[in-house]
Amino acid sequence: MKRLVFAALLMLVSLYCLGPFLWQGLTSLKTAADLTRLPPLLPHPPTLEHYRSIFAGHPLLRIIANSFIVATASTVLALSIGSLAAFALAKLPVPGKGAVLLLVLSTSMFPPIATVSPLYLLIRAAGLRDSPVSLILTYTSFTLPLTLWVLTHFFRNIPDELYRAARIDGCTPWQSFTRIMLPLAAPGIFATAILVFIFSWNEFLFALTFTSTTASRTIPVGIALFPGLHEIPWGEIAAASVVVTLPLLFLVFFFQRRIIEGLTAGAVKG
Amino acid sequence: MTHRKGKEGAFLFLAPALLILAGITLYPLLHVFRLSLHRRLLIFDISRFVGPENYLYLLGDTRFRNALGNTIYFTVLSVLLELLFGLAIALLLNRHFRGKGLMRTIILIPWAIPTVVSARMWEWLYNPDFGLLNHLLGFRINWLGSPFLALNAAVAMDVWKTTPFVALLLTAGLQTIPRDLYGAARIDGAGPWTLFRKITLPLLMPVILVVLLFRTLDAFRVFDAVYVLTGGGPANSTETLSIYAYKILFQTLQFGYGSAISVMVFLCVGLFTLLFIPLLRRRKV
Amino acid sequence: MKGKGLFTSGLFLFFCLLSLPVPGCTGKSAPPDEGVTLVFKHGKIAGDPLPFRQVLQRFEAQNPGIRIQDESLPSSTDEQHQFYVINLEGGTTGFDVFAMDVIWVPEFIRAGWLLDLSRLLSKSEREEFFPGPMKAVTFRDRIYAVPWYIDAGVLYYRKDLLAKYKFSPPATWPELVRIARTVARKEPGLYGYLWQGKQYEGLICDVLEVLWSNGGNVLKDGRVVINSPENIEALTFMRGLITQEGVTPDFVTTATEEPTRHLFGGGRALFMRNWPYAWNLFQREGSKVKGKVGVAPLPAFPGHASASTLGGWQLGINRFSRHPEAAARFIRYMTSPETQKLLSLTIGYKPTRKALYKDPELVASQPFTAALY
Repeated sequence: MKRLVFAALLMLVSLYCLGPFLWQGLTSLKTAADLTRLPPLLPHPPTLEHYRSIFAGHPLLRIIANSFIVATASTVLALSIGSLAAFALAKLPVPGKGAVLLLVLSTSMFPPIATVSPLYLLIRAAGLRDSPVSLILTYTSFTLPLTLWVLTHFFRNIPDELYRAARIDGCTPWQSFTRIMLPLAAPGIFATAILVFIFSWNEFLFALTFTSTTASRTIPVGIALFPGLHEIPWGEIAAASVVVTLPLLFLVFFFQRRIIEGLTAGAVKG
Repeated sequence: MTHRKGKEGAFLFLAPALLILAGITLYPLLHVFRLSLHRRLLIFDISRFVGPENYLYLLGDTRFRNALGNTIYFTVLSVLLELLFGLAIALLLNRHFRGKGLMRTIILIPWAIPTVVSARMWEWLYNPDFGLLNHLLGFRINWLGSPFLALNAAVAMDVWKTTPFVALLLTAGLQTIPRDLYGAARIDGAGPWTLFRKITLPLLMPVILVVLLFRTLDAFRVFDAVYVLTGGGPANSTETLSIYAYKILFQTLQFGYGSAISVMVFLCVGLFTLLFIPLLRRRKV
Repeated sequence: MKGKGLFTSGLFLFFCLLSLPVPGCTGKSAPPDEGVTLVFKHGKIAGDPLPFRQVLQRFEAQNPGIRIQDESLPSSTDEQHQFYVINLEGGTTGFDVFAMDVIWVPEFIRAGWLLDLSRLLSKSEREEFFPGPMKAVTFRDRIYAVPWYIDAGVLYYRKDLLAKYKFSPPATWPELVRIARTVARKEPGLYGYLWQGKQYEGLICDVLEVLWSNGGNVLKDGRVVINSPENIEALTFMRGLITQEGVTPDFVTTATEEPTRHLFGGGRALFMRNWPYAWNLFQREGSKVKGKVGVAPLPAFPGHASASTLGGWQLGINRFSRHPEAAARFIRYMTSPETQKLLSLTIGYKPTRKALYKDPELVASQPFTAALY
């Protein structure tokens, strides 16, 4: 009985999360004429036309590659810089920790639409326009506050005794950071990494402003550039969102198994 | 001696983060502050320092007040629901079962779809004629057409989209709670509700608070999701502060006034954070 | 203490950034003797990109030494406007020629972002263009952009259904209501009249058209007359289309061009107000209304003239462009009668030169262009 309820709840949650996406998938298989008609619910007959056309006219793969590069670099940067700082804030004697945390947080209190203009000036002055580096730096700085706060919490949660024991055993702060703290905070690091990665993968406003050619264009802007003046090519957008979301999910799934389960299994026991 | 060394070491750990933030976000912030003290209307070739004039004007601006109200409503409702759903999902997934990895991937889907696309997707779902929602419900509701429904429809979309954010972080938080705590309590005869109240909730509280803080900051600055969905309409009923600032900045090119609205957003969330921090402090013990 | 240290390190980094070379701005344009690369920015083009590319290649063939780098922006005019504002405010050299919606031009002129193009068009040649867009690009007798193609609100109707019930396209609003009610009663599931009512600039266009078609206006002699009796009457009528007459479904208040275009294109509505772009989509292979659609000027109130928001796109030169000469030549080419005709035939961009509306070849392929003129 209990298991039945549990299974039902799982079904409910997946339906809620998956429903609109599945609908998007169905939409991507419908003919243009059926896009705005209900019934029929199911594509009848299903067509792969939209998938053909997103790969035919656009450098979609290039754009996905750009997004992948930008998101990976931002994630690695934000996580490494953020975890260093978080470690210091959680375990090392830093004067005015609260103030630092607050200061860091204050950078994410402005509406992004207000800071896009001045940031553009900076990017241009640095000669980074239309380069993935501009987006990587921007996303890193935007996701740093979250990274820092979440990881500070996770490091703080690790008993001080563990850290002290490591120091007594002769570890430098750096060694105790990489050998003890990082593995123990793995769940937090992993969760944050996913959030940062997806944020960078999906950001639109700054990507639109800082990029102008396929050399640096990322997915959301690429999708917005599917042809048509007032026309919104809905079938193509649906197809594209399926095509760009699946690799992302696969990636998450893969990492989930490989990293998180291995690491936490070891860490929690220890 | 050792203490000093520790301090310097600490600074080395902190330096990259501070440098990046200072280099990339400090200048834009100062720029917006400075602009907000100017009357800057490019189309009339006006650009002069006016001090607090923009802020004084804000006080009597009914559209600003309307946007503030919408933003607060949106933020409170969506963050509350997200927290509720996110916690429920995290608790549900915090046990061993087959297909857990798959389940945790599925709950990420809403977060993984680009905001601009998912807002359009919801616009389509909400359409009274060919939208899936009304089709499933069996009756016709003009979701985005009435002021009351439109704001709540925007909340529903945001909740769907951002619950994964909450669920993911809370799941991670749950993982760090040592299992043996539960075992000991169970031996003492505690039921599931007591376990949740006495162990899970207190130990999870710090993560919950951090999540709450960041979700509030983000929801308060919400822009593209709602803008694509409704454009702020009907009749400004879904116009949030960010949308209002956007319209003033980029549609009417009043850089000074638009910046002042943005600074108000900053002050609002800043105030919220300051009120919120003591909560975090208290829980830290 | 902490804050101050942070501030100085921030300033330091900022100046480091400033002192870096600026390859992004200069890297793209080759030295003049090796030829010039013009960056042409515009909203993404409608339909097939191939003919458009051919038009650009023809220019490159005629002007050896000038290469066109074609860069498009998303279709949302909001996003384009925001892109240009941020870039031009920052004094960008990242593009040379760009396309502007008609309403931005006066704004950009006043902001000082456009080069004076008066010498491109003689006084007499200016007369060859539609006066509306020409007025938009003129400021104190000087010209700052050249009208490229026009966009105007028109009335789409179902030719076949009007013929079936023996109606002709309505010239007045009451007529439209009468026809829509009669036909909708006999054709279940058919909407009467669709328009764009979401809170965005499309609604502004739709409203203005109705106000103007009742002799109303927003400004008169520099005064705001938005609450004039004509306007109130016109707006009451517009609202009544939904609430009283029932010929317009309530959800138009959430609709932009596309949902209405989809519904009309699916054979679900009798009348629709939209832009010319929809025409080519209706005539596409596989369209449900292929050959069944007619286009007419928007109706007016009895005793008044039909009115349409004359949108459209104009080409201007970024004041910070490094190649104003080549850019001017490119604009000349893009707005020439030949190119306009070619673009109209291939991707349906409606010419801004009046004479082209009498061109037999053009009228034959795009029969409804007459409704615009």
